[in-house]
Amino acid sequence: MRGADLLVSYLKQEGITTVFGYPGGAIMPVYDALYDGGLKHVLCRHEQGAAFSALGYARASGKVGVCIATSGPGATNLITGLADAYMDSVPIVAITGQVTSAVIGTDAFQEMDVLGLSLACTKHSFMVTDKDELANVLQQAFTVAKSGRPGPVLVDIPKDIQLAEVEAALTISTKDPITQYDDERLEAAKQLLANAKQPILYVGGGVGMANAVDELQGFVDATGIPSVTTLKGIGAIPNSKPYALGMLGMHGTKAANLCVHECDLLVVIGARFDDRVTGRLESFASNARVLHIDIDPAEINKLRQSDVSLCGDLKDILPALTTTLSIHEWQQYCRDLKVQYNWNYDAPYRSIYAPKLLNQLSEKLPSNAVVSCDVGQHQMWVAQHMNFTRPENHLSSSGLGTMGFGLPAAIGARHARGRQDPVVVVSGDGSFMMNVQELGTIKREQLNVKIVLIDNQRLGMVRQWQQLFFEERYSETILTDNPDFVTLASAFNIQARTITMQADVAPALDEMINSNGAFLLHVRINEADNVWPLVPPGASNADMMEKV
Amino acid sequence: MSLAQHQLKLVVNQSPEVLERVLRVVRHRGYKIDQLNWQHEDGELILTVSSQRALHLLTNQLAKLVDVKDVTELNMMQTSKSA
Ligand SMILES: Cc1ncc(C[n+]2csc(CCOP(=O)(O)OP(=O)(O)O)c2C)c(N)n1
Ligand SMILES: [Mg+2]
Repeated sequence: MRGADLLVSYLKQEGITTVFGYPGGAIMPVYDALYDGGLKHVLCRHEQGAAFSALGYARASGKVGVCIATSGPGATNLITGLADAYMDSVPIVAITGQVTSAVIGTDAFQEMDVLGLSLACTKHSFMVTDKDELANVLQQAFTVAKSGRPGPVLVDIPKDIQLAEVEAALTISTKDPITQYDDERLEAAKQLLANAKQPILYVGGGVGMANAVDELQGFVDATGIPSVTTLKGIGAIPNSKPYALGMLGMHGTKAANLCVHECDLLVVIGARFDDRVTGRLESFASNARVLHIDIDPAEINKLRQSDVSLCGDLKDILPALTTTLSIHEWQQYCRDLKVQYNWNYDAPYRSIYAPKLLNQLSEKLPSNAVVSCDVGQHQMWVAQHMNFTRPENHLSSSGLGTMGFGLPAAIGARHARGRQDPVVVVSGDGSFMMNVQELGTIKREQLNVKIVLIDNQRLGMVRQWQQLFFEERYSETILTDNPDFVTLASAFNIQARTITMQADVAPALDEMINSNGAFLLHVRINEADNVWPLVPPGASNADMMEKV
Repeated sequence: MSLAQHQLKLVVNQSPEVLERVLRVVRHRGYKIDQLNWQHEDGELILTVSSQRALHLLTNQLAKLVDVKDVTELNMMQTSKSA
């Protein structure tokens, strides 16, 4: 068989059913193999869209996402998606065509050193130089993407290797993920837990990636330790749990930030002390001892020294740590703060208040709905005001914060999940335009994706910072010249309507949810609305601003 | 703060881009390369690096690379130069 055929049959063998991509000269043999190869290929309208769709597919399903692009510009267009997957530890495999081996290094047409470009934004990358190594490389690529701390892997395949007759010999050796704990460490960790009077769980995206949500919830139910989550940890502990305090950090809840500030033991589970989480690092949980649990040894003691660390699979560690504690006073204290600072939507709004709309949307959606959002104020409002019971239902570009993520990630999620799971995009007027061409993918595939476009005619999050920290000098953040989004949607056969008043919200949400096929709900909001509370740059999380 | 100098021995796979991978991590994580010695046949790289940052921040990142099989610290010297 040709190398290209081997690739397609290997992908099927890996259990891959859907791939996302865009053809071109140096990947033509692969597209020829895809023509009748029995894999579903989704034609995205930009390779960045293909990368984000693969990412959304992976995040919504827990499987590896696959994207395919041609050499040169096709491959460079993937880079932002790979970087996003790298920052958020998402397993994707990117296949890129490369010019023929003989002309590599001659500045051939559409030649680019993609292996060189990949070094900073993938977990690992390969260029296939020997046709008989192709199968081996593919297997390694999937193993690396999934194992240990997951991440993106790129495989660059020269065109001659795609065309060559190949052998499918598999000999595999990859590094085993490092496990760095033993009974003694576990005992020390249990001791820390037993001695703590005011412990807090700081839960990150690692829990979902390790598929350890059930183990975490078992641990939480048994110990009763109050918890906070990162942006990527949302859904690992439902807000309905009595001591779940919500998201922490820059736009976290006041209860979460205050309880972390006062805790005496911080139990870090699959999280990495991102600066958006910690605020000023020196004042982050500064009186606490730290128990850090993570699969990646490089996260231990990177930004905060731990007292005890357990490096390994959360699925094994959490059950082994489960004990009962008596921390009633502290639980009550945390619970009181949660109630005291709970969100309030009671004000009589005339114009639309996005947090309330998103909360209403959340209540109308079933718990198996996937919500994919873009980046900005609306993203923070999704994190704050929508409720999630699984991390794979909340797709948000967290570590890289990439505008343009929402729509293609939702397209990936749509392919990953069954018809019974609604898929909703919450985007902003700025972000939406960054991958707006993916409306073409929705049209082509007739995808049932609902889009809520929160339109403040601003690059709102940047505008908010200009207002608060740059003397209201609104440099290049005013978008009063936005396109007519309803007309734009109709060009792609997507039903759409605009709402401007709070009274319109409930019926419009119902119309959207009950519509057949794709729907765009264009929501006009006041440009002055800000995300609160907020930890100003350089401040301690205990000092949150709550108004201008 | 004084610069600490460290000598590291890495055993790596002989992939053509392995040096780039290692050197990129060293630079990006905030270490300066003072000296290096590369034996391709043995896949052995000896690096002398200096930084104000603690060494584990580098060795942990290097050990994570798929192409790096082993990282050991050979010795450590404190230089009197300040940054
Ligand atoms: C690709 C990219 N470019 C620039 C930014 C910086 N940025 C962060 S939020 C934001 C504004 C987003 O505007 P919009 O999508 O309308 O969301 P809003 O904040 O108004 O809700 C910008 C420009 C980014 N995060 N990503
Ligand atoms: Mg906006």
